[in-house]
Amino acid sequence: MKSMHEMALMGDILQLVHEDAAEKGLCKIEKVELIVGEIANAMPDALRMAFDIFREQNSHLFTKQAQLVIHLEVAEAECILCGEKYRPEQKIALCPNCNVPSGKVLTGETFQVLSYEGSLEK
Amino acid sequence: MKVTLRTDVLTNNNKAADFNRELFESTKTLVVNIMSSPGAGKTTLLEETVRALAKKYRIAVIEGDLATERDADRIRAMGARAVQINTHGGCHLDARMIAATLGELDLDEIDLLFIENVGNLVCPSGYDLGQHHKVAVLSVPEGNDKIPKYPQMFMRTELVLLNKIDLLPYLDFSVEEARKDLSEINPESTLFPLSARTQEGLHEWFSWIEGAYVRCVRQ
Repeated sequence: MKSMHEMALMGDILQLVHEDAAEKGLCKIEKVELIVGEIANAMPDALRMAFDIFREQNSHLFTKQAQLVIHLEVAEAECILCGEKYRPEQKIALCPNCNVPSGKVLTGETFQVLSYEGSLEK
Repeated sequence: MKVTLRTDVLTNNNKAADFNRELFESTKTLVVNIMSSPGAGKTTLLEETVRALAKKYRIAVIEGDLATERDADRIRAMGARAVQINTHGGCHLDARMIAATLGELDLDEIDLLFIENVGNLVCPSGYDLGQHHKVAVLSVPEGNDKIPKYPQMFMRTELVLLNKIDLLPYLDFSVEEARKDLSEINPESTLFPLSARTQEGLHEWFSWIEGAYVRCVRQ
């Protein structure tokens, strides 16, 4: 399963959570919330699957019901010539109004661990 | 208890990338991260690059593959230093893997370091390795549709080397269309059509490397 890109990403996510939780003396993670941009190169379904696998393999760190919440960030670009805001798809820089490649991506590339919930009980 | 982190998922990778970058800057080593699908011709292109530039520059290559030492052996046969990273199934190189191999390379004695990423048009594009430049290789047999199909690779690379142009007469690939598609995804990127096999167009790539090296040393 290591070959799945989202497994590697989930490994990074859980490392961040565990490092922080260990500092605060928290164990038994109940919830992890992520912000995933539409063009951030991570598939939400694959992330959910990876989370389930990690949860099964690390029952000492998670509660059985631990959940992953993903907040999707919509991709938006703005044309530097006409100011048109549009949703970038394949032709990311192509402004649909001017029809020239003059768009800059504003949002959609975020990939963050927003928060987590854990408890002090063992 | 809820803890707000708002931390980038790739934070640990990015810290390692910054570490690598500082090292590359202190030793004045130009580092180029080369990405493509499997079979686009990255290793052949690097063999030709070593052949052409090894008299003038001290060159090393880090090879990323799921398994085997084959690519590193090919580079060594051309007379350059090569280190192989086997990711054992991992789909990309990350900055920590690069940091871990730097002990095997004496960067003070290296002018040009090429990192040949794992063949994959998706995953490697998101990982900063601390390189100066990200370059994509696309080859004519892959077809025109690869640029619009993998925009996240091409929006993050400043140079695209269109390899295997010796096959243009036999295939339906349009260089003009590739340039147009690329400009609509990343207007700041450049495309050099070339063939590592016949050497056509390679001089543009070599001049680009020499220019980048001068800028790296002057920094």
